[in-house]
Amino acid sequence: MIDTVRKTIEQVQTGRRSLSDVGKTIAGSTGATLLVLLLMFPVYWIVTASFSQGAGLMSSEGLFADPSTYNLDAYRWVLFESNFVFEDGEVGKPGALFNSLIVVFVTVSVSLSVIIPGAYALSRRKFAGREKVLYGYVLFTQVGAGLSIATLVALYALFVNLGLSNNLLVLGLFYAAGAIPFNTWLLKTFMDNIPVSYEEAAIVDGASQWQVIREVILPLAKPGIAVVLIFTFLAGWNEFIIAQTLLQPENYTLSVELYALVDDYETPWTEFAAFAILFALPVAIIYFAAQNYVESGLSFGGMEG
Amino acid sequence: MSTSFFERFSQRSQQRLPDRLENRDWLAFFLVAPGIALFLSFMLFPIAFLIYLSFTDATHTGTVIGGGASLIGFDNYISLFSDAQFWNSLGVTWLFMAVSVTAKIVVGIAIAVVLTHARVRGKRYMRALVIVPLGFPEIFSITVWRGLFSSARFGPFNQILSMYNGAVTAVVGAIDSVLFFLSINAPEFLLADVPVAWMGSRWGAFGSYVTTEVWLAYPFMVIIIVSALQDVPMELHDAAKVDGAGYLQRFRHVTLPAIKRPVMFASILTAAASFQQFLVPWVFNRGGPARDNELILVYGFREAIELNEYGLSSAIMVTALVFVGMFMWIAVKKGDLADGVGNE
Repeated sequence: MIDTVRKTIEQVQTGRRSLSDVGKTIAGSTGATLLVLLLMFPVYWIVTASFSQGAGLMSSEGLFADPSTYNLDAYRWVLFESNFVFEDGEVGKPGALFNSLIVVFVTVSVSLSVIIPGAYALSRRKFAGREKVLYGYVLFTQVGAGLSIATLVALYALFVNLGLSNNLLVLGLFYAAGAIPFNTWLLKTFMDNIPVSYEEAAIVDGASQWQVIREVILPLAKPGIAVVLIFTFLAGWNEFIIAQTLLQPENYTLSVELYALVDDYETPWTEFAAFAILFALPVAIIYFAAQNYVESGLSFGGMEG
Repeated sequence: MSTSFFERFSQRSQQRLPDRLENRDWLAFFLVAPGIALFLSFMLFPIAFLIYLSFTDATHTGTVIGGGASLIGFDNYISLFSDAQFWNSLGVTWLFMAVSVTAKIVVGIAIAVVLTHARVRGKRYMRALVIVPLGFPEIFSITVWRGLFSSARFGPFNQILSMYNGAVTAVVGAIDSVLFFLSINAPEFLLADVPVAWMGSRWGAFGSYVTTEVWLAYPFMVIIIVSALQDVPMELHDAAKVDGAGYLQRFRHVTLPAIKRPVMFASILTAAASFQQFLVPWVFNRGGPARDNELILVYGFREAIELNEYGLSSAIMVTALVFVGMFMWIAVKKGDLADGVGNE
């Protein structure tokens, strides 16, 4: 950075760069930085708010509070007094975090157990209707986001009648079903990039079909499976409206608790902010870790045929 | 490439094991079937059930399978199409989609152009930073934006408006003290009436939906447009410069044609997403004030879950599904646009 500045000054002095040229670059970079800051304002706000418990967030200096007043009280409230970990912070009564983890566990285990075989078959085998299945999956992934809300109306009535509405396992199953198209497509594309010659070599060496799958395909597909694991985890962790519709308060997941906080005018913004960050930050980090993996193997959005 | 989307993405199927392994269809079927069955049981089956419900007079959940509902033909659709609420909802949905997609494209292109510009230093880091919202859970971003649009006196956007008011008053005050022979007050039309109840007026709420949706979607647009911009050969720009083209001319005749296809493709997808927007209006104010801003899915959801009108709600949802199907058809027809996205 300092090197660049020194070099630029030298270039201007020796007349290799004009002053107006440097000025334009500075103006351009400053403008771009302002644009980025503007876009990141919501993130800035939620982070400062979470540190401003008891300080004057709801006063005229609120938006740009003095960093010396920052404290972790709001985080303490979330972890020990809210429903985040334990209900009302009472140790021993499992709270929203446990409910979310139950849902996520069901989502991940069920979806992985159907996605891995499905992706293998779609990548390596020829069967009637193969293209149609793939086509359907891609269409749903790209265009059908709202279908689950439309179908929720019918499913809700069925679940209520069957006594399944307030059930974390059913909810997990619902999410698993919704996660199948995108993740099967993703893993299938990943498996397509594993060279067929490895399998041929294994077959020449006398390996059986099952051995080929277990000893060649699965180990080589591990990074892809890890990514699918993360995406299915996120599907269960992030979803809100179906959980809110189906669950009763004692089974609320973290996303529903978050909404309950923002919907309640009594809740201070600081506490909401700390809750929101503890809910979102870990998964945002995981998401980007997975995203890098995806981008190294595929292009964005899994669109590469 | 003029091959269809369908052909292109089945090209991979050429690269597969030799024929002798491909005859065992039953194993492949056995491997794929559980996933399809699970997906369809939560998707296709409820859709079929929804269509059936839309022809019944089911009101609350008890009547849905309790035998309390009877078939009434197209009555739900007839009462729906003669209901002003339905046409308002459909109109607001289309308007929302049009405004939101336009804003997303303009904002996306603007950000992408700035963050690939030769004059901007550190643009790679900036690009990495601006796509961060992509990783946030949707409900997180939406609740945060609801906080920003708080109508409280010290809600963030109201505070910013107060700061703006303060700045205007200060400037006018300074002018006033310079022109000591006149007494000048800050003109009313320059001042905002704080606090603004963002969700209290129809277009205030509508505007806040659009703003929020643009913020949710811009990382996707930026990623696609940036990768398209990077594919534009520098020589084209240089040649245009030599020919004396100004910045705007180069943007129109070099940049725009190069990014048109990926932007078109992204627009179709993002338009479908806007049409099916549910969470933003629901979390902000449940499609209010009154029922002014109930986008189609909010409208259908509410009729069933809150107002116990399952038959009517199903008719609304089926209507919405017809439109979603239309988007799918467009995506298929225009699918060859996809190669601008995938093949970098």
